[in-house]
Amino acid sequence: MSVQSNVEVRTEWGIVSARQAGRNLAKEIGFSSVDQARITTAISELARNIYLYAEKGEIIIEAVEEIHSTGVKHGIKITAKDKGPGIKNIRQVMEDGFTTSGGLGAGLPGVKRLMDEFDIDSVAGEGTEITTIKWNS
Amino acid sequence: MRIPILKLHDYLLISVQVELDDQTALQFQEDLLNKIHQEGSSGVVIDLTSVEMIDSFIAKVLGDVVEMSNLMGAKVVLTGIQPAVAITLIDMGIMLDEVPTALDLEQGLDKLQQELEG
Amino acid sequence: MQPSIIEMIYSQRQEIIDRWKEEIQHFSDNEFSRSLPSEMYNETNVEFVHLIIDTLELEQSEAKEKLRQFVERFIHTGWPLSFFTQGMQAFRRVLLETMTSQETINSKKVFETFYEVESWIDGIINQLVDEYSGSWENTLHLQKLALKELSAPLIPVFEKISVMPLIGTIDTERAKLIMENLLEGIIEHRSQVVLIDITGVPVVDTMVAHHIIQASEAVRLVGAECILVGIRPEIAQTIVNLGIDLGKFPTRSTLRKGIETGLELTQRKIVKISSDEFR
Repeated sequence: MSVQSNVEVRTEWGIVSARQAGRNLAKEIGFSSVDQARITTAISELARNIYLYAEKGEIIIEAVEEIHSTGVKHGIKITAKDKGPGIKNIRQVMEDGFTTSGGLGAGLPGVKRLMDEFDIDSVAGEGTEITTIKWNS
Repeated sequence: MRIPILKLHDYLLISVQVELDDQTALQFQEDLLNKIHQEGSSGVVIDLTSVEMIDSFIAKVLGDVVEMSNLMGAKVVLTGIQPAVAITLIDMGIMLDEVPTALDLEQGLDKLQQELEG
Repeated sequence: MQPSIIEMIYSQRQEIIDRWKEEIQHFSDNEFSRSLPSEMYNETNVEFVHLIIDTLELEQSEAKEKLRQFVERFIHTGWPLSFFTQGMQAFRRVLLETMTSQETINSKKVFETFYEVESWIDGIINQLVDEYSGSWENTLHLQKLALKELSAPLIPVFEKISVMPLIGTIDTERAKLIMENLLEGIIEHRSQVVLIDITGVPVVDTMVAHHIIQASEAVRLVGAECILVGIRPEIAQTIVNLGIDLGKFPTRSTLRKGIETGLELTQRKIVKISSDEFR
């Protein structure tokens, strides 16, 4: 499976289409309904962050696999890229309950808990790239 | 897009059948509060059986709707939250502590009746 | 392998086998071999050593397949891997001794011969280890699956009341499965109250408590209520000593008390009927 979709996020509709693209691929890979909900929710959080803080950016959704002695592990990789203001204090945004938007402050720490791998790379003034993977167990 | 709000005696019934985007959610919040004011409703059931995903933003809107409706004197019960959605919310650390819930519309109406009588 | 070496092994086949049998007498006196009839043990030894020597004539892939079939039989009957590896090590010793005792080989040849024999024997030992570890991994995988199937059924005991008995240790993977079964079951049986029975959970530490708390939060979100039952005195002690706050959750000491509470919550109770009515 070498499926990849890039969704541009610059309006609220971008959030919805990124979500749908993620759900479709997650279904195709064979994730359970619970994991499908986890993945879609994580995408929604990432896309909303782009929309709120960077105005525009993109969400890249792709199928990935890893070969083990016991077989092939399938997963979904989500990359959120923007050229927005960047995150000044990464540790702070990963704290539960920290919010600048008046939301619940569950966004990024929530994404980390929903997914299996989480990596954040941000330079103030240049932009942010968040990569996260969920493996199908 | 607007979510229809049905009136049943003193209650309002809402069944969310569309994928909730931010704008629809906020519009719904406004419509519901207006309707409560207009009808003087004492109870609201919001059925989420068809909702496949609730992220932190939608959760916040729903929590706010419950709190705002309470301020206006209407009790709100959320019904039909799917297992996958519930697990995702718990994973995110969103408990919706103050929000009454029930399995489905029928039990939601029972719960409202109990709370309003008791 | 060089034909000359193969030829030598064949020409002295019987001698090598005899010396090998002598050699393995040293470690045949272990718990495993004593548990078998000595006839069977000896027969297997003979079959094994002949097989090793016979593989010299075969193509590599054919030899591998033959060895695999042979070993598979013994893996399933529980022969230890050490039986084969020790056997191979002894075989190498005997072989090298037999060969070097011959005066016809010059010193340069000795090195080459050593090298060839070593790599041949190592190849076989590696294959043996691979076959065994493959089978262990397989067993582990099957046991994991079996454990998963054992996990957490939701049993409807009354209308609107279900019980989930938890037995054994709860790790993160199982906790996920428990949560999913619990929520799907609630929807399926339209349960308003679920009793989670932890009588069979040996240890409740902060991790287990965390999983249980999360499960009951999720239960509340789908619209039902959770009661934790089967809290033994020592579990109550650890929960308090660890500072775990279960204050938000209704708990009962036994399943019976939990069911009574469940009935109350759904506006019902169990009454004793008079003997007149019974007739």
